[in-house]
Amino acid sequence: MIIGENIHKSFGDLEVLKGVDLHVQPQEVVVLVGVSGSGKSTLLRCFNFLEMINEGSITIDGKKVDPKKDNLTKIRAEVGMVFQHFNLFPHKTVLENVIEAPLTVKKMNKEKAKKLGLELLEKVGLSDKADVYPSKLSGGQKQRVAIARSLAMEPKVMLFDEPTSALDPELVGEVLQVMKQLAEEGMTMVVVTHEMKFAKEVADRIIMIDQGTIIESADPENFFGNPQHERTRQFIQLVE
Amino acid sequence: MFELFGTVFEVFMRTYPGFLEATVVTLQLTAIGVILGTLIGLVFALMKISGSKILQWIANVYITVIRGTPLIVQIMFLYFGIVEIYTMSNFWAGAIALGVHNGAYIAEIFRGAIQGVDPGQREASMSLGMNRKQTMQRIVFPQALRRSIPPLGNQFIITLKDSSLVYIIGVSEIFSLANREAAQSFQPFESFLVVALYYLVLVMIFTYLLRWYENRLDVDKT
Repeated sequence: MIIGENIHKSFGDLEVLKGVDLHVQPQEVVVLVGVSGSGKSTLLRCFNFLEMINEGSITIDGKKVDPKKDNLTKIRAEVGMVFQHFNLFPHKTVLENVIEAPLTVKKMNKEKAKKLGLELLEKVGLSDKADVYPSKLSGGQKQRVAIARSLAMEPKVMLFDEPTSALDPELVGEVLQVMKQLAEEGMTMVVVTHEMKFAKEVADRIIMIDQGTIIESADPENFFGNPQHERTRQFIQLVE
Repeated sequence: MFELFGTVFEVFMRTYPGFLEATVVTLQLTAIGVILGTLIGLVFALMKISGSKILQWIANVYITVIRGTPLIVQIMFLYFGIVEIYTMSNFWAGAIALGVHNGAYIAEIFRGAIQGVDPGQREASMSLGMNRKQTMQRIVFPQALRRSIPPLGNQFIITLKDSSLVYIIGVSEIFSLANREAAQSFQPFESFLVVALYYLVLVMIFTYLLRWYENRLDVDKT
């Protein structure tokens, strides 16, 4: 679904990604872990071209993307992204947030979009909040709206950039629950998170990124039970 | 003290019919100055964030020149400049000068407001597949506009007071009336005290209205 090959990314003199190879299969749930500054969020942002890679290639759904020639707008529409700080549109209601992209990008008619929006809000358990503004929601509710908003474009893959890091501890569960449900429905997902319990339960594969390279890639059982790399062992000790 | 109060009151009673008419002129000048300034400001703000070096350069020159010269010079310059090419009333020459002047300040208000919108908003919009134009029109600009309202209100108040300078080209707004009254009646102190009160009351009314409007905006959204 996503194939990243030899991805290099630098910010000025700082090389954040130093040749990353990552293949994500359809319906696979990949969890990216690593200490902060390791490059895991940057990798995620490269996958929907919010950051442009300096070297290497990215293939989405069988199509190799050329950032210079291809219409990135179109590609981004197929790759959903959920942000740490939600980034809901504060001047629009919850429902308007969800149907904004279907209306403007897909030119869906309003009735149909509304129906889709309400279905998605139902799915994330927020149909009663359709007409309120985001400022009236808790962090967990905001993030669930953000997930619904992303799903409204019917993406082929969903990227989650530390979706629960900005939440109060008691609100983390409701967001993870929605993500778990998505995974069970067969959504292809790449998740950057520090929630090890979620990684253990939901991930097909856990990938450890350290100083811009992948140093470990294994299913949860082997990742936690039999880590190959010293840095992974240290990391697991730190988070558990 | 009572004597002064008496003469001020006397001047007020004698002049208020004229002042009410002149107040309308002042408000018209202010409104046109702000509306025209908003349109000009919008264009130049978009030029500044356009990414085109030439457009940015043009906008920078405009803003630097306008902000670097006194309004009264701009009024005279525009008045004599425009009248050379195209005949128009003093009123319109003054109103356009105020608009051109405001444009530079309002351009900076809009630019600041647009750049002040959380970059995450742009990213979220782009990640949904919206293009630059859609992102600007539907996500960034509406939020920037909301942020611009307080400083625009402030600019309106400044313009209300600055409009007094067009007396120099003979527009009959309230300051020019006070000026004439002072000369004719030999009561300059009382005349200028009265005109100060007119400005003060107008500014207070608009400050109150703007604050009320801002509060109403805050409800629910953002």
